Amino acid sequence: MNDPYSVLGVSPSASDEEVKRAYRDLARKYHPDNYHDNPLADLASEKMKEINEAYDTITKSREQGGGASSYSYGGSAYQSAGQSRSTGKNAQYVQIRNLINANNLAQAEAMLNAIGTHDAEWYYLMGSVYWRRGWMDQAGQYYRTAATMDPGNPEYRNAVQYMNQGGQAYRPAGGMGGSMMGGDMACNMCQNLICADCCCEMCGGNLIPCIGCR
Amino acid sequence: MYGYVRPVKGELKVSELERFRGVYCGLCHELARRYGFWSRFLVNYDFTFLAMLLAEDAPARTCPRRCPAHPFHKTECLESCQSLQTAADMTVVLGWWKLADGAADKSFPASWACRFACRALKGAYDRAVSRQPDFAAAVKEDLGALQTLEKEKCPSLDAAADKFASILRSIAGGIEDPARQRAAGELLYALGRIIYILDAADDLADDIRADSYNPLRYRFAPVDGRLSPEDEKVLRTSMQHSHNALVSAYALMGENVYTGILSNTIYLGLPAATQAVFAGTWNTSAKIHRKRSSI
Repeated sequence: MNDPYSVLGVSPSASDEEVKRAYRDLARKYHPDNYHDNPLADLASEKMKEINEAYDTITKSREQGGGASSYSYGGSAYQSAGQSRSTGKNAQYVQIRNLINANNLAQAEAMLNAIGTHDAEWYYLMGSVYWRRGWMDQAGQYYRTAATMDPGNPEYRNAVQYMNQGGQAYRPAGGMGGSMMGGDMACNMCQNLICADCCCEMCGGNLIPCIGCR
Repeated sequence: MYGYVRPVKGELKVSELERFRGVYCGLCHELARRYGFWSRFLVNYDFTFLAMLLAEDAPARTCPRRCPAHPFHKTECLESCQSLQTAADMTVVLGWWKLADGAADKSFPASWACRFACRALKGAYDRAVSRQPDFAAAVKEDLGALQTLEKEKCPSLDAAADKFASILRSIAGGIEDPARQRAAGELLYALGRIIYILDAADDLADDIRADSYNPLRYRFAPVDGRLSPEDEKVLRTSMQHSHNALVSAYALMGENVYTGILSNTIYLGLPAATQAVFAGTWNTSAKIHRKRSSI
């Protein structure tokens, strides 16, 4: 295993507070919410595991304060296509969801194209294929069609909402929060952060320590 | 190429600015060394970014050099290294195709200038192709596909952007570490999409006037050469998602000596360029940028 201090990017002489700060910044960077339906989600979760292990190793070896263990991000509230909702009404769609989740986009698209009637689920899954491929404009159009066809479905609604609101990604501290959408990014960022914190707290985690408590 | 991928200089540290200048000048010298004097004119910010992104995590070695643009004082230039050589090869390949495109599309006298430059650089282009055969093949294939889409007046913005983005993604093919290669591929794809859309937005009014293809003409319904505020919002939100994908991939790339400059370019430079393009001030701000700086 790599040196836990170099994993967190701090020196072995760093104070507990510095270690915690470095850990928090990295945890924020590789948080699953930043890799929402992202083809690199597996790499990010490996990185997260490495960081958690490094932090646990350091806190255990220091044996101070007792039990300051890492965040558990395992059960993040975000839903990626393929891991949610067992509607079970259409085995083919389940299979396509699994393909999308395994990043096998070409096959997922081929299967979708082979389906004759296009219902809301079809548009949603096609949107997911485009999304993962980086075709953000097309993905948005398909998500919107899915939500229009089945307005009661929370998954489709969430996808449209996520699309319209601009999503989220890590921004380092210190004024590096530029936005492609114009206007004030800080406002969006706060919204995203608070939303992400609520999601984390539902799962027992905590993103903003001063709002919740660790 | 387009020059959208550049750091916000006022936010760089002095040492970072010097290092950035060293890479830019180093790339220019590398072009001259490998491909002769005229290839120097192809030097650009986008491939300077690429040279920094692809750089190994090792101390950068520099040496003072004079050049035609700075004949009286020497500048600290990055010495020839793998990433600089790759960036120079790719600059020539893509630069030559851009000139060829200009020779076919532009009107006289610009088309003649492009044609002349294409001839002058043909030898350099052939050498670059032999050094980067995979990249050159990807460029040829994707640009050919893009031309077909243009002829068909493709209404899908993403399908058109995909071709240019795929060219940039193919650059990641040379990275050995599989995880880093994947991350770089996603980063470059998202970057390619952003560059393509920025270029389309920047040229929209001119393309409408000249009745040339522009994906935004067919995806949206621009009035008087401009997108409606609603359409602009949809477009920029989709760019924000690409930017998010870029940032998320960048986080997985690991750090090197240029991390400060790369982060500045990604987190501040790209949003600033986007803001300027949509405000219609890009060309003005790019000119001011050129005048103010000695680079």
